[in-house]
Amino acid sequence: MKDKKQKNSSIIWILLSTILLIIITAITGISLFRVYMGNFTEVEDVKSYDKYYVMITEDRKSSFWQSVYAGAYEAGLSENTYVDMLGDNLTSDYSREDLMNIAISSEVDGIIVAADESEQMSALIDEAAIKGIPVVTLVGDNTHSNRCSFVGVGGYNVGTEYGQQVLQIIKESEAKPKTKVSVLVNANALDSGQNIICSGIQDTLDRAKEEGKEIEMTLVSVDNTNAFSVEESIRDIFMEEDIPDIIICLNELNTTCVYQAVVDYNKVGEVSILGYYDSETIIKAIDRNVIYATVSIDTKQMGEFCVNALSEYHELGYTSQYFTADIELIKKANVHKYLEGGEDNE
Amino acid sequence: MSKFKSLPLQGKISIIYIFANLLVLIVNVLLLVGINSMSHEMDMVYQDNLHLNEMVLALEDVQDSMTDYLNAKTSDSLENYYRSEQNYRDMIQELNDEVTGLSFSRMERNIKNMSENYLETVSQTVEAKRGRNVEKYRIRYENATQLYEYINTYIGSLNNEQFMHNSENYNKLSEAFRFFETVSVIVICVVMLANVSIIIRLAGEIISPLKKLSGLADEVAKGNFDIELLEVQSQDEIGVVTGAFNQMVISIRRYIERIRESMEVERALKEKELLMETHLKDAQLKYLQAQINPHFLFNTLNAGAQLAMMEGADRTYEYVQNMAEFFRYNVKKGDETVTIRDEIELVDNYIYILNVRFSGDIHYEKEIDESLLNVYMPSMMLQPIVENCVNHGIREMGGDGKIWLSVYRIDDTACISVRDNGKGVSKETIQKILSGTYRDEELAAGSNGIGMDNVIARLKLFTGTDDVISIISEGKDLGTEVILYLQIKEREEEHV
Repeated sequence: MKDKKQKNSSIIWILLSTILLIIITAITGISLFRVYMGNFTEVEDVKSYDKYYVMITEDRKSSFWQSVYAGAYEAGLSENTYVDMLGDNLTSDYSREDLMNIAISSEVDGIIVAADESEQMSALIDEAAIKGIPVVTLVGDNTHSNRCSFVGVGGYNVGTEYGQQVLQIIKESEAKPKTKVSVLVNANALDSGQNIICSGIQDTLDRAKEEGKEIEMTLVSVDNTNAFSVEESIRDIFMEEDIPDIIICLNELNTTCVYQAVVDYNKVGEVSILGYYDSETIIKAIDRNVIYATVSIDTKQMGEFCVNALSEYHELGYTSQYFTADIELIKKANVHKYLEGGEDNE
Repeated sequence: MSKFKSLPLQGKISIIYIFANLLVLIVNVLLLVGINSMSHEMDMVYQDNLHLNEMVLALEDVQDSMTDYLNAKTSDSLENYYRSEQNYRDMIQELNDEVTGLSFSRMERNIKNMSENYLETVSQTVEAKRGRNVEKYRIRYENATQLYEYINTYIGSLNNEQFMHNSENYNKLSEAFRFFETVSVIVICVVMLANVSIIIRLAGEIISPLKKLSGLADEVAKGNFDIELLEVQSQDEIGVVTGAFNQMVISIRRYIERIRESMEVERALKEKELLMETHLKDAQLKYLQAQINPHFLFNTLNAGAQLAMMEGADRTYEYVQNMAEFFRYNVKKGDETVTIRDEIELVDNYIYILNVRFSGDIHYEKEIDESLLNVYMPSMMLQPIVENCVNHGIREMGGDGKIWLSVYRIDDTACISVRDNGKGVSKETIQKILSGTYRDEELAAGSNGIGMDNVIARLKLFTGTDDVISIISEGKDLGTEVILYLQIKEREEEHV
């Protein structure tokens, strides 16, 4: 009798434990699956921001602009503002003017634009201003518009610096009686920034000429109106017979192109390059003695200035007209500092 | 469990089957629900893209109807314009207008704002057209078209990005689906194993009494009935069969016992008969050894009796006649069951003959209960006893020897007592006689050769009991009494 009871209870036990096992397995499976599903259905950054600024530039992918944007972006985050590089994820490649239009009709809270002195740009900036959108011009100014502020480098100082470097190069080589200096300028002559730089260079060289040095400075226009035309125009310089001794580049893309052309045409040592900006390629080129020197601009600071100017304008209704970013000259002598630290900037 | 036990076999098997199927069904339903929710998620993956495509179409509608209206100014196109404009407006209301870290939401915000501007421009264009302000509506149309292109590009880009993002999601989902598949397979396997174990366990539980039963049946078939009976555990068919089997085994055992007993009795009876026959044959043989052919003697004696009668010798005639009677009894009844009456007559004959021989020395007295004369007994019983009395008791006493024969009744027993006043028998001799070990070496000349041992054995066989005779002797010269006890059967009493 006892045996029978034990047997019965053992059967019930087995039944119950089996059912329990099945239920546990099912629940475990379901919950495992839920966890698995939950892992990727949750969205990463759903934080919402108070303000929305956009940055409009050409050549968005260059490390110069990327670095400026990074500075602006970080400055924006600290003020709960999202800064977008407008046009970054659009399928069409719009011009700055189109992007201005888009920004205006999107009713953003502020526009940072790498402008020029064109009338169209002025009109767009004015339109934005009418709609209550403050515009900050960056690197290139549009003086005739109602932009609220300009953020750039001290163009004249940069020009002087370039001039000093040209003289330094002449001093070091001492071979030729006449030195030919070419300054690559954008065909779009409405860029006031580069004109100031040019005049800075010109003034410095003129003073040297008074000291009896024969220096011929020419402005070489680089066609930047079409895509890829910059590179072609620069190559054209090297196709001519009279290759300049010193080439001064006023933006990152030109510097990179000239550097590549000098290497390709085997003119290293014959042509000295004075570059612009401190991208990794340029720094490496200095290290290899292909580029003589480059002007490093505190791009992060530039970005910060832009955002600060817009925020200030929103807060107070006005802001400072000019912001000038710090510059520094990078030569073979101090390039190691950027080689090591350069990776941090990336 | 006890309820389960009391179910019929079919019910049990059905319950197990239903239970197992139910488990599988539940698990399958769970898995199906999972698959369903997954496929729903998968459906939702490209929902955003579909929505954006619809938006593109709606936007196109607005632009087309506006262009149509500007072209032809038909009321149809105006109606179309209003409808499509409303439709598009509804759609953009659903768009998110928050600025977040997600590029989608920012793009949506831009699309929404641009679309509102666009719709505004379009309505102004239509307004200008109505007012026939050609310059105005042309410019506004161009603006609207530009905005239209921007929005289109924006939606296209958003669509593209979302598609890429969704494709990633889709990949993750299909990965999850594969994961789910693996989990499902494992779950199904576990459930199946559990199911199988339950079925095996329960089936074993049902079948085990049947197995025991078949083992016992096998034992019984081999002829071994000394088995331990099975306990009836369940109330199903197996329980019924087990109970019936137990009953059958018990019945068979009982029948076997009965048959064995009756065979025992039969065997004993046969043995008794055989013994009786043997003893009688023995007695007859001894008789024949001792006597000449009784027929011849009997006929001879008859002839002598006739002769004596013719010669007028009455006493001789009587004597010879008695002799003839005596021998005829031996011839006729030697192997039969006789009545007490016959036996007493034989004793009378015998005493007469002896008295003639020994010239009346033996005093013979009878005291007989007449009602017992028809009681049956084996033949040749009393005569040998009386012969013993004469030979060993009173022969040497001359004229003083006496023999008392009495037949009386004690309860259901007829007692035949033969007493003499002779020299008696020692206790040892009585013991020997009763146990059948006594041998009288010197058979007297007148003896018919039948000893006491033969008498006692036959009497025992006849009655079937051991307590058939007692020999009483008070001591030397105080005489001897032999008493035979015969059971009176009812049949015999009827005769009486």
